[in-house]
Amino acid sequence: MSLIELAPEVIAQVNQLMMSGFEIPAEKLLPSATLIGDLGLDSLDAVDMLVYIEETMGIKVEGERLATVKTLGDVYQLASESMAASAQNLSPVLDTATQTQASQQL
Amino acid sequence: MKVFVTGMGALTSLGNDVETFFGALKRGESGVKTYPEWRQYKGLHSYLGAPVPEYDVMKIPRQVRRSMSRMSEMASLATYQALAHADLQPGEKLNSPRVLIIMGSTSGSPFTFEQYFKKLIERGGPEGQLSTSFFKVMNHSVAANVAASIDFNGALLAPSCACATSTQAMIVGWELIKAGLYDIVITGGADELHYMSTSIFDIVMAASRGYNDNPTESPRPFDDKRDGLVVSEGAGVLILESEKSVKARNARPLAEMKGGAYLCDGTHMSQSSAETMTKVMHEGLTRAGLTASDVDYVNAHATGTIHGDVEEAKAISKVFGEGMATSSLKGHLGHSLAACGAIEAIASIKMMEEGVLIPTRNLTTVAADCGPLRHIKEVTPAKVQTVLSNNFAFGGMNTCLLLSALN
Repeated sequence: MSLIELAPEVIAQVNQLMMSGFEIPAEKLLPSATLIGDLGLDSLDAVDMLVYIEETMGIKVEGERLATVKTLGDVYQLASESMAASAQNLSPVLDTATQTQASQQL
Repeated sequence: MKVFVTGMGALTSLGNDVETFFGALKRGESGVKTYPEWRQYKGLHSYLGAPVPEYDVMKIPRQVRRSMSRMSEMASLATYQALAHADLQPGEKLNSPRVLIIMGSTSGSPFTFEQYFKKLIERGGPEGQLSTSFFKVMNHSVAANVAASIDFNGALLAPSCACATSTQAMIVGWELIKAGLYDIVITGGADELHYMSTSIFDIVMAASRGYNDNPTESPRPFDDKRDGLVVSEGAGVLILESEKSVKARNARPLAEMKGGAYLCDGTHMSQSSAETMTKVMHEGLTRAGLTASDVDYVNAHATGTIHGDVEEAKAISKVFGEGMATSSLKGHLGHSLAACGAIEAIASIKMMEEGVLIPTRNLTTVAADCGPLRHIKEVTPAKVQTVLSNNFAFGGMNTCLLLSALN
């Protein structure tokens, strides 16, 4: 995953949906927190997390990228990159099969 | 082998536990409200519903709750109540091959169906659908979600026959205990209020249209000014238990489930008939080893429809003769569809326990064609030994069950 600078508003939005969508307490939302081990998410949650990110941030996220996401910091990175790509209208539209396949690798 | 009820739990339009809702029944309260926002739906004429009061979903773990619609949430909370009432704890002992969950709903979640198809049509495909949507609309959503909510990994069944669902579930549970296959059966049903459910009845002129501005005056079972039913929501769960299990764990039985019957009409999907209602009551009595003279009170299905109430009144008088004590709880609670049979069974057990008959709310003047019965019109002290409770459903499903007080 190529690193780009994380915008504070992206971190805030991702944290907000982690709290509202998955009821994760704010104190657990550390960049190093693993989605499965530390935050208690699973493959179903991963699919829904992408839907929430797309809908709340108005962006498109590549489903295949989910396979590389392990930590909350990775989610920040993915959201930031997707936001940048969406701004340039470069991101492909997600399809559900790709989403699910990728999420099962989590 | 006798079958006992050892636990009960309920969320209803009149309260979110058994004692609260039965107290409201005794006070003659109504759970019916007007939904002015439903006026936006073209072709809908009934704007009445009876919602369940706000409840605490946080009692259900998030990873289980995420796949639940409102009906599964209510069923799970009612199950927690019923298990606690029966002094049963989720866990290893409940995960026995001798324990069965059997409960259902009319359909999957109408809210989720609406959200799913709205997005599907708007986006031209499945893009953006949540992973958990299917688990809210599958036909066994309530049963599967209840199982998950109590970490249950035993036998599971999910019958579905609309408004007779939970009655049928209880009777099948009774049959399977009698057959020696299970010792404990967690049974009941649930449904959630949505304008689509009301519209199903409204389309066939069976939903109340004339009381939109006076919600608590409808529905009016057996009354000469009745004009249709009011859809409600809720969940009712009962623990059925074999006599052997009750003795083995020194459980406290609340009532005996004597039996019941579920027969289809076989002729019409929506027009109920006194003839087939009569047949199911006779069959229920036979299977329970009882005769008509053993029954002290009939808890009628009577929803307040023009046709159904007349047919049921005819059938009750044909089976029991003139003067059978009869009432319907739909005037208080509305019609909670798949949940109503279990909720009414619970209320019937409470009536036997407290020695009181709950009247038919809004029954002011008995319609000329809804007799001859002893219609209960006010809270009436009575020693009730045995109750027959009816539930009938679209699709031509007729059911009745029999419960007896403990001596």
